[in-house]
Amino acid sequence: MVRRPRARPPSKNCTGDVMKNTFLLLRWSWRDLRKYWVKVIAIALVIGIGTGAYAGLTSTANWRRDSNVASMELLNMYDVRFELATDSSVEEGALLAAAAGIEHADWIEEGLERVIRPTQVDASTATDAVLVPGQIVGVDISTGSPAINGWHLAGGVGLDSADAGAPVVLLEHGFVFHNDLPPSGVITVSGGEQLEYVGNAMTPEFFIVVPENTTSFAQGTYAGVFSSMETAQSLTGMDGAVNDLILTVTEDADRDVVATEVKAAISDLGVGVNVIPREDDPSYRLLFEDVENDQEFFNIFALLIFLGAVMGAFNLITRLSEAQRREIGISMALGLPPGRIALRPLFVGAQIALLGVGFGVLVGVAIGNLMKSVMESLLLLPIWLTDFQWSLFFWVAVVGFVIPFAAAAYPVWRAVRVKPIEAIRTGHLAARGGGLAPAIKRLRLPGDTFGQLPFRNLLRAPRRAVLTALGIAAIMAVLVGFLGAIDSFLGALDRGTSMIEGSAPDRMVVSLEGVLPVDSPHVAAIGNADSVDGTVPVLQIGARAQGEEDVDLLVEVMDLENEMWRPALTDGDIATVGDGLILAEVAASDLGVGVGDTLRVTMPVRTGPSSFSFVESDLTVGALHESPIRFSAYMDDSALALMGAEGAANVLYANPAAGYGPDDVQRELFSLDAVGSVQKASASADELDDLMAQFVGILQAVAFFVLLLAVLMAFNSASISFEERQREHATMFAYGVRVRKALRMAVVENLVIGVVATVVGFGGGLLMLWWVVNVTAAETMPDIGLMVELSPMTLATVIVLGIAAVALAPLFTARRMRRMDLPGTLRVME
Amino acid sequence: MIELRNISKQFGDGVPIVALADVDLSVDAGEFVVVLGPSGSGKTTLLNMIGALDSPTSGSIVVDGTDVSQAGRKELFEFRRSSVSFIFQSFNIFPGLTAAENVQFGADATGRDDVDPAAILQSVGLGERVDQFPHELSGGEQQRVAIARALATGNPVMLADEPTGELDFITGVQILELLQKQAAEGQAVLVVTHNREISRIADRVVELSSGRIISDGPPAEGKAALEELHW
Ligand SMILES: Nc1ncnc2c1ncn2[C@@H]1O[C@H](COP(=O)(O)OP(=O)(O)O)[C@@H](O)[C@H]1O
Ligand SMILES: [Mg+2]
Repeated sequence: MVRRPRARPPSKNCTGDVMKNTFLLLRWSWRDLRKYWVKVIAIALVIGIGTGAYAGLTSTANWRRDSNVASMELLNMYDVRFELATDSSVEEGALLAAAAGIEHADWIEEGLERVIRPTQVDASTATDAVLVPGQIVGVDISTGSPAINGWHLAGGVGLDSADAGAPVVLLEHGFVFHNDLPPSGVITVSGGEQLEYVGNAMTPEFFIVVPENTTSFAQGTYAGVFSSMETAQSLTGMDGAVNDLILTVTEDADRDVVATEVKAAISDLGVGVNVIPREDDPSYRLLFEDVENDQEFFNIFALLIFLGAVMGAFNLITRLSEAQRREIGISMALGLPPGRIALRPLFVGAQIALLGVGFGVLVGVAIGNLMKSVMESLLLLPIWLTDFQWSLFFWVAVVGFVIPFAAAAYPVWRAVRVKPIEAIRTGHLAARGGGLAPAIKRLRLPGDTFGQLPFRNLLRAPRRAVLTALGIAAIMAVLVGFLGAIDSFLGALDRGTSMIEGSAPDRMVVSLEGVLPVDSPHVAAIGNADSVDGTVPVLQIGARAQGEEDVDLLVEVMDLENEMWRPALTDGDIATVGDGLILAEVAASDLGVGVGDTLRVTMPVRTGPSSFSFVESDLTVGALHESPIRFSAYMDDSALALMGAEGAANVLYANPAAGYGPDDVQRELFSLDAVGSVQKASASADELDDLMAQFVGILQAVAFFVLLLAVLMAFNSASISFEERQREHATMFAYGVRVRKALRMAVVENLVIGVVATVVGFGGGLLMLWWVVNVTAAETMPDIGLMVELSPMTLATVIVLGIAAVALAPLFTARRMRRMDLPGTLRVME
Repeated sequence: MIELRNISKQFGDGVPIVALADVDLSVDAGEFVVVLGPSGSGKTTLLNMIGALDSPTSGSIVVDGTDVSQAGRKELFEFRRSSVSFIFQSFNIFPGLTAAENVQFGADATGRDDVDPAAILQSVGLGERVDQFPHELSGGEQQRVAIARALATGNPVMLADEPTGELDFITGVQILELLQKQAAEGQAVLVVTHNREISRIADRVVELSSGRIISDGPPAEGKAALEELHW
């Protein structure tokens, strides 16, 4: 058998023709661009938002980690801290000497002795009462800022050696910032000493303020007062003494060995000492823990936004490219190789890809800036490193870049697999076969053909309809998840605040300096204060309950039948609580217990007038309360007998008398002996509210982009549908069908897509929300019990957006329909 | 039924392209008129004027009692709904609807509820294909569906632009036969073609050249029966 050599198109090896071809192609593509530029930009925006939101949302972990590390480094955070037991102290220099005497003393780089003592701080201004507990930290300031755990001045001026021993201090920046205090002023501390503060500073131990027995949001309700060693010593009556040592170690050191040796050396001085390695520092630990936790939360959303956008973009670009199906068929008939045929669609794809990545950077920077501004006000760090995270952006950008090419080439790839004639034939790619339409042709819907057409059109191209719906559904899911997460957070806050306020919204919590008998004159003095109308003595104790998971509790023991306030119960009854514990629901569920169950609890039993030791005992769960705060627990004072603490209290609830406000109570009680701090009971909830508001701010800002994404996809889809249906519409208009009716059909078609997308998106969103609340939040914020909550506002937003906006999107094609060139459109032979 | 007075149509702003110049034409109900002319002579433009898809640059058009050249947008929609029905060269039937449903569309567009699509399809010889989708039909069959759809409107004027253009000769002739039958039942039927042979089946042929009517009357070579036509 003789094979005939295949004829080659002669023009192929002629450079001039290739040039001309290329030139023609470019000109042709230029025309394409002029025709499609609105869509090119709109689809590029979809990709831009998807990739940019991903980069922006996932960047914060890197930013925070980098910023944490840089900030810690800048201020030379300690490697290990030695805290002497409460009320113990040693002579100045003794701690450093002990450290210098250890076997591996050469591993110690630097050491710093400190005086650290709790205090009360009155930083009230003319308008606001600011009376909070705090801490005086005194260090050597001969070089200005301490060598370890340095001070970063955020306002005012610093201290220098001239201030040693003078009543001049710095205030912690977060405290100043959250209370809107002026950069310099006068404060009063325990003992009535007046101090001038000349500036405010950040320091590693206060990046996040976590005093004992509080939630972790105490930046504004706990004051750090930084001074010279001499000043601190004289304020705390510790002349010539120190009670704290911090060290940094060399790079090659074994820190644990240093810690052990120094601890032994200090113990030899005859004082108790508590060793705190850097990672156990509450501020340090939370700073880094939160990074991972918060990020996990945003990662899910970032990924979904990205996937939704990618799916949407693919679908839109495919449809854009399919619109050229006839030209594809003709090119095939002319014998052009698929690669050449794909060039024009690919060119449009390239425009979208390039613009998309460009928009991605813009959106990424915009969302990043939002995250950044919120983070900067949430976390006061001296250094914020918030460079655009190219490494995170890179992979989504690659996908965002490839998708337009793939989507543009896909219809060509589909077309070249069939015979050219089929590709040329009417609507081959738009409606290969009848889609699912034949399957339902017997299944007649009620109404005339105008009623049938929208559904038939959907069923004719089910793949396209499903892709469109899924793309929008993914976005809706993100929106439901997002808004639902906001609702759930705010709902938890509301429950917490409403229980804390209860029947006494202005209730003040007066913490006493130590455990006092309720009949002591100090306690009586509080009750007799002019601004106070009745008090309830409370013994606040730490306890640990053992169950499926161990839970630390802060138990408030009080007369549950008191007149002022009691916890609101969701299960059980005050009358039957007896000696039992009242737990938060989340605590009960983490422990795996319910009302009536017995729980093993490690709790303090009094061994002396104000000393306690821990014993294990079995308590029944008497009831559950409404607050979402897991550690919050209550007992009746009848249980005080179990602790050998009858008539003892370390806290008093005090209600302001008629005509007095919380500020008056704070001012009056603050001057009394034995009063540690005076706070509105709802103070920490208020602060939580403020912080939440900013967090919610991020979510809402991102939600805006998500909304924009959904709207963009709906309008793009409607616009492309309009072009796909142009000839059908022209035919209808030739038959005298009104534009309004044609629009109504398009609206019905989109309505179906919108409803499907919303239902699927809603389901997906609920699943996501469930996961965020019960898995992510439960792991990352175990101390807050969230419930899946959706506000009517969220429901309305989702329904309005998903159904109404998608359904009404075709109305934006009304003008084009009305201006349609009927003869021209009808003549076009597709 | 159709009255055209001094119709002119120009396209473009710079150097105008004259598509129609001073065209006068009247067609009565029951007339079957073939508009003949070479490509570019203005046939489609003429038909689009009559069907109110396009408006003339000057002159007046009255169709079925409506002054199309004066009517507003709303009236034009009403006019197209109730007075004319189109048959296109490229069929333009809805791919998402079955044959019967496409016919039903014609009735729905005019608001008629006494139409039996199956019967109309039967009358155009498609009795067996009522539940087929367009992509399952040949070109000739699709054009029959288009005619059936036009018939379902029950409108007095039927406009067909090159209805045989995409069909083979025999099929084309069959389509024309169908249209002629409609005229016999009282409709005014205008059929556009560039095929002189096909024009011979009409009683009246209007011949266009460069936008002007150059002859109007019985076919020049004489009217022929369908069997006498050859390609
Ligand atoms: N939309 C338009 N713009 C410019 N010129 C047009 C347009 N439509 C038709 N023409 C011109 O008008 C003339 C008549 O066109 P047409 O009525 O389509 O011719 P026929 O149907 O007889 O082939 C042609 O020269 C054509 O180029
Ligand atoms: Mg024509």
